[in-house]
Amino acid sequence: MSNTENMLCSKTHEYVLSEDGKNYTIGLTDYAIEQLGDIVFLELPEVGASFNKGDVFATVESVKAASEIYMPISGTITEINENAVDAPETLNENNYEQGWLVKVEFTGNEIELSELLEYNDYIEEVQ
Amino acid sequence: MKETLLHDKQVALGAKMVDFAGWHMPVQFTSIIEEHKNVRQNVGLFDVSHMGEVFVSGKDTLAFLNKLVPQEIGKLYDSKAVYCQLPNKKGGLIDDLIVYKLEDNKYLLIVNASRIDEDVNWFVRNSLEFKDLYIDNQSHNYSLLAIQGPKAINVMEKLGYTGHQDFFTIKKMTLADVEVYVSRTGYTGEDGYEVMMKNADAQMLWDKILEVGKEFSILPIGLGARDTLRLESALHLYGNDLTEDTTPIEAGLSWSIPKDKPEDYNGKEVIMAQIANGVDKKLIGIKMATRAVPRHECEVYFNGEKVGHVTSGGFAPSLNETIALCYVKNIKEICTGASVQVMIREKLQDAVVVKRPFVQKHNSEKK
Repeated sequence: MSNTENMLCSKTHEYVLSEDGKNYTIGLTDYAIEQLGDIVFLELPEVGASFNKGDVFATVESVKAASEIYMPISGTITEINENAVDAPETLNENNYEQGWLVKVEFTGNEIELSELLEYNDYIEEVQ
Repeated sequence: MKETLLHDKQVALGAKMVDFAGWHMPVQFTSIIEEHKNVRQNVGLFDVSHMGEVFVSGKDTLAFLNKLVPQEIGKLYDSKAVYCQLPNKKGGLIDDLIVYKLEDNKYLLIVNASRIDEDVNWFVRNSLEFKDLYIDNQSHNYSLLAIQGPKAINVMEKLGYTGHQDFFTIKKMTLADVEVYVSRTGYTGEDGYEVMMKNADAQMLWDKILEVGKEFSILPIGLGARDTLRLESALHLYGNDLTEDTTPIEAGLSWSIPKDKPEDYNGKEVIMAQIANGVDKKLIGIKMATRAVPRHECEVYFNGEKVGHVTSGGFAPSLNETIALCYVKNIKEICTGASVQVMIREKLQDAVVVKRPFVQKHNSEKK
């Protein structure tokens, strides 16, 4: 997990990663993936769809159950991970580099980001 | 919450534990898909000690059991087992179970964990007319392990099992120096054995089976894979696919019910009428066009009309597809190959009716 340093996580187990402060990659934390178990189906939104922080934007089905995934920040979808839709097990194998869910253009404010936790604090919180 | 004797060992092996019918049980050890495939390809060990073991004995046992189940208990020879249902007076199912004939006037009933109390109450209510009858619920004294998969026999032999026994038979024997009952049964669609032992021997046998099974790639298996294995084999789960509101005929279990059993039994009138006249609803198997998972209670549509609901659904690791069992109106056109839709998260998803079981079984019990 090379990127956990720059990662911000929500208490609902989504992570965000950004290189430029404008475009963010969103996925599920390794803790969430471990709890879900084998993932078999992803339902992702359309490119161009806009969401507010806290909106349900995706559904992840594991062998055990269906889970709704919440937007950790507000944003407009710019890309969805088609490879992960075709091969949902990618999330179990590598939830950061290959198993991300969507990329968004951030439309929220700084307060939204400040409400997220750094990876280490998040792990401490959930365990 | 109740725990089996193997609870702490399972936690130590890293199992994720869940509440199941009041028991704290492992849902998975590593991954449901990996565990599932290992049972199909090699062998798996299941702790099913939460299930109920009820011994029934006395001269009236045969008459008593014949009143309880649609199956012909009198046709069992010593050691033979039969899959049975426990209908109420209306033909709805209180439980499904396996009845083992140990010897004349002595039978073993293995029942679902969630139904032990209801079953025993029902047994007692039905016992009043029988004088020489002893119902002995030994569920708290026995543990039950299932060894399932094509290499189950290899593991058994390593434990000292030397006999051969037919499918659906039980034998009392010494295995790994302890007294056990071994039956060639299971609920995975694979060949395999169920070993029933006194609680005091459960931990030793669990460890021993995992140890001797290593060379055959044995894995401990959780309830998650138990569910995907039984679903692929279209074996019913009590509480989902069978309830007090479904009869065995509606549930597609006609194959298990003799048409000419002379004795009267609970629900016989309804069951026989349904065999003669047909039923209003039926159980079907479907395969989804996508991998969206139809869960319990999702609505099923045919030609735009709501016709029923899903009772069990999930990803089938052996098929790499998503499947479900559903109850639908008994419409002739809803047959193998027909298109149906399932409402999943407010969207209709396409599916096709397929034959049950979804995968070929590897034990010889004919259905």
